Amino acid sequence: MIEVKNLTKLYGERVAINNLNFKVRKGEIVGFLGPNGAGKSTTMKIITGHMAPSQGQVLVDGFDVFEQPIEVKKRIGYLPENPPVYMDMFVKDYLTFVANLKGVNKKQIKELVEKAIEKTNLQDVSKRMIQNLSKGFRQRVGIAQALVSDPEILILDEPTVGLDPKQVAEIRKLIQSLKGQHTVVLSTHILPEVQATCERIIIINQGQIVAEDTLDSLTTRMQGSKRLHLRIRKVNGVIEKLNKMAGVTSVQVNGQFMDVDYDGEENTVENISKLIVNDDAGLLELRHENIGLEDIFIRLTSEGGLQ
Amino acid sequence: MRAIWTIAKRDFRTLVTSPLFYFTLFICTSVWSFVFLRSIQEFSLRSSRAAAMGGQEMNIHFYVFGNHIGLINLLVIFCIPAITMRLISEEKKSGTFGLLLTSPITATDIALGKYLAGFMLALIYIFVGFLFPLGTLAFADFSLKLLLASMLGVVLMTGVYVALDLFASSMTQSQFLSIILCIVLNVSLWFFFQGGQSSSNEVLDAVLDHLQFAKHLGHFVYGSVSTSSIIFFLSVIFFFVFLTQRVVESARWR
Repeated sequence: MIEVKNLTKLYGERVAINNLNFKVRKGEIVGFLGPNGAGKSTTMKIITGHMAPSQGQVLVDGFDVFEQPIEVKKRIGYLPENPPVYMDMFVKDYLTFVANLKGVNKKQIKELVEKAIEKTNLQDVSKRMIQNLSKGFRQRVGIAQALVSDPEILILDEPTVGLDPKQVAEIRKLIQSLKGQHTVVLSTHILPEVQATCERIIIINQGQIVAEDTLDSLTTRMQGSKRLHLRIRKVNGVIEKLNKMAGVTSVQVNGQFMDVDYDGEENTVENISKLIVNDDAGLLELRHENIGLEDIFIRLTSEGGLQ
Repeated sequence: MRAIWTIAKRDFRTLVTSPLFYFTLFICTSVWSFVFLRSIQEFSLRSSRAAAMGGQEMNIHFYVFGNHIGLINLLVIFCIPAITMRLISEEKKSGTFGLLLTSPITATDIALGKYLAGFMLALIYIFVGFLFPLGTLAFADFSLKLLLASMLGVVLMTGVYVALDLFASSMTQSQFLSIILCIVLNVSLWFFFQGGQSSSNEVLDAVLDHLQFAKHLGHFVYGSVSTSSIIFFLSVIFFFVFLTQRVVESARWR
């Protein structure tokens, strides 16, 4: 459905995104993950035709964004970082205006506006002026705006920013319910959001894709190394010995606590515990730590690659 | 076509509900009322004196309406920027411009829709301004055709201001900069080609002479609706709307 080929964008000398390649299949929900300034918004702006790439190509449903922008834009609902709302309009009028802009069939406008209001739970404020709404409501109006033309593709740039936890849960549920009928690309730096909604994750850092996979296989791939969490009374004596031990990849010490990454072999765990007990170092705690998406993310974006 | 009208309708509603619109219209009507009444009084005094002395009958169109039209033009130069400055600048600043750019509409739709909104609003000023001479119909006898010709001229001239100011508005995110730019451009129209006749090149003289807005507007006020003047105004409007379209379009490839 969306095909990004060799996409590069330069802002003057600065490289915002560098040679991106990825595909999004129909009906998929893809999370676009990356730290601030990684190039997420730039990529989304290029896909939606808001901005032109310096190099490369984006195909949406077979149409080139730059050559046939109208065809592409008909198929996309886009929520930018800041919801593009007119402060001096009423919520309902605004949504009707957007539906008209998107070229929705005149007979369907009323129905689709009602539907968008219902999906985003805006019934209570539909007759209020947008400037009098709180940030969270404005954000929801922004989401409703992206939904109102019932587009095949939804591109959401940090959709849950500024919402309260209950609304966040509602929006996530809404995004999940779109699965199958709509193709969704959402960007975020909030990890649980991706875990809760997305099937596939693209992690981007400094303008480059550092990982692209399903959530499950990303976690298993990272589990080539495992982590032990230890609490030891006399830390100093064992650090060096642990570091030298076969199978141990790294040791991080923080007061009495110690994180030991190892190769995943049970023998290694046995050796570690043996060493600490024999040394009389005072083992207080030993447990396995699951490496979550958060760790994967931090590792990928700080070391610069899975390889 | 639908997109143009959608944008024009929305923008017109925003402009017409802004307090600034009513404030500027208030200033305009105050000045017009004051000056128009004075010049009518003076005219009636002088024309009755002229009639008593057996002189030529004076023409209300040139003595009163001519001044009034000049005054309409003068105030509109400053009022239109106050309204049109928002057309694109504000959208750029608040991020709603992105909504237009990512909607399935062309840059031409955006430029024309915005122009139409600004122009419809400007027509309100012109209409209110011409209520003064039209109201005079109740107690004076004069050629309505002449007045309508001048009205057409002023409408076309206003169309030029709106196009120019729309272009200025598309250049910047700041409304303040936008209004300054608008006023400077509007005023400079009246001085820009003055004095071109001093050049020794005949062709250049003719070209510069044709580019004088005062001359073209003058034709209308004197009752001659010439095709060349209409085409002149329309082409200037087209030129600046076209420039605006280019600025809007440039957002896509910058």
